[in-house]
Amino acid sequence: MDILVCVKQVPDDYVEVRLDPSTNTPATAAIEQVNNAFDTYAVELAVRYCETNGGTVTVVSIGPERSKNNLKNLLAVGAKKAFLFCDAIFENADENAVASYLSKAIKKCETENGAPYGLILCGKESTDEISGQVGAILAEKLDLGFVSSVIEVEPGDEGLIAKQETEEGYTLYEVSSPAVFTIAKPSYDPRYPTIKSKLAARKAEIPMFSAADADIAAEAGKVICLGYSEPPKRKAGIKIQDMPGAEAAVKAASIMADDKVL
Amino acid sequence: MKTIVYIETVNGKPINGSLELLTPSSDLGDTIAVLIGADLAEAASQVAGYGTPVLLVDTPSPCPDSVLAVLEKLVKDKKPDAVLFSATQAGKDYAPRLAARLNTGCVTDATVLEADADNNLIFTRPAFGGTVLEQLSMGGLRPQIATIRSGSYAKPARAEAEVEAEAAVESVRIPVPENSVRAKAVKSVQEITETINLEGADVIVTGGRGMGNAENYEMVKELAALLGGVVGATRPAMEEGWISRAHQVGQSGKIVAPKLYIACGVSGSMQHISGIMGSKYIVAINKDEAASIFNVADVGIVGDVKEVMPVIIEEIRKRKEAF
Repeated sequence: MDILVCVKQVPDDYVEVRLDPSTNTPATAAIEQVNNAFDTYAVELAVRYCETNGGTVTVVSIGPERSKNNLKNLLAVGAKKAFLFCDAIFENADENAVASYLSKAIKKCETENGAPYGLILCGKESTDEISGQVGAILAEKLDLGFVSSVIEVEPGDEGLIAKQETEEGYTLYEVSSPAVFTIAKPSYDPRYPTIKSKLAARKAEIPMFSAADADIAAEAGKVICLGYSEPPKRKAGIKIQDMPGAEAAVKAASIMADDKVL
Repeated sequence: MKTIVYIETVNGKPINGSLELLTPSSDLGDTIAVLIGADLAEAASQVAGYGTPVLLVDTPSPCPDSVLAVLEKLVKDKKPDAVLFSATQAGKDYAPRLAARLNTGCVTDATVLEADADNNLIFTRPAFGGTVLEQLSMGGLRPQIATIRSGSYAKPARAEAEVEAEAAVESVRIPVPENSVRAKAVKSVQEITETINLEGADVIVTGGRGMGNAENYEMVKELAALLGGVVGATRPAMEEGWISRAHQVGQSGKIVAPKLYIACGVSGSMQHISGIMGSKYIVAINKDEAASIFNVADVGIVGDVKEVMPVIIEEIRKRKEAF
């Protein structure tokens, strides 16, 4: 079974995003774009599945041409094919439009792959918008079974068994293939590339398609962004330093008592 | 305007995050509170006690796909202006899927809900780890579907009536076509049996990576117990296995707003800090004087948790005994 993983390019989430005062929009232009963390977990889960059960992993992204380098990083950690969809009409799309574009891009990927995908994965959310909607809407657009926050996938008697992480434990779902799952953090981390796999990935050609190549028409957003603001800032209070731990603790307890928080 | 509020239940009881939604929805106009599942009569009358009419859809062995099928049918019939969910794992699954089926928009994790003169809602939601807030709208699209973060609104006051339920509970059955259930739940396992109410806690004591090991983490639990509070954890502490993920505070865990928040060995990633910004009073202990947690702390102690915490525990114990 071949698996397709949808990957979003996001600003590195180790960098704090603030509003650009001149435009009042998030200042992300100078931040390095990386593969969304949950999407990299999805790639690792897919690669492990195919190593055990056969099949290959394809990664697909909608984004600017420079996304090719990030897709190459995924070819270096087990993905066999990568496709990029790049077009001006994809810019500023909301979740519904992205899911719609992906649902059509997937058909094009299947043609290029020469075989349909038995499983389509998305990260459970992206670290920039954190809206967690695209995978769920994509399942609806494709009219396929859906399970969210999956941390393990096994072949089942009637399709696939997905282990969903829940607040108090887990739930196992049986779903027929093809299906759409969103992936949470499994118990393992994504693998690192080897020098050999890195070099091979550097040389790979990543096919890039326009919207027209996949018969995709522009879609109006359903959700519009009216503007941005920053949450109210907190001021730092008293900092106790340059004294032995025990002494600092006594002082802190006394301040807390004076402030009546104990 | 007319709003449907989906009331999620856990072990037959309505969750606070859902009940809180009755506050903004009643400010906006008429509300129907909807419960879907089996054996929920008691939960339904409890919700009606808040003065909101309740629609109880008796659905045997509910699963995400069957609940969604019921919601789809119900929303098509009732034609509300808005459908609100608590931003739980389930709510965040239902809302976008329902929006896709009804060809409308969806906003997740909103914290503020306002309506303009045309009953078009304006949602405020955090993005980028909580450092930026977005104001979103669906214009004239109906219904407007959203999930709201728990703690964004206070629960409405319960109706003072002597009768069990002030508002009416209407019970209906909506058949679920068999082919609408594609993901069949075969097994559900409860690994975490403790109930951790971080959202409702007055005091939270959180330990981070700086606690060093599971043994030192016991001091976090001791301090929390002493203050009658709840134990919190950062993602690294949880990943180290010192404590279960039910305790996690921050963007990927629970968003909290206690009266007192004590962060021990927590450096203060923006994902963590944005999850505790609602706290009234923050105390931080960290040996790195440059740790970001100090930027938001009312009291910051630069020192080793192993030296500071035993003395803090002792000092607080003395003060408690003196009362």
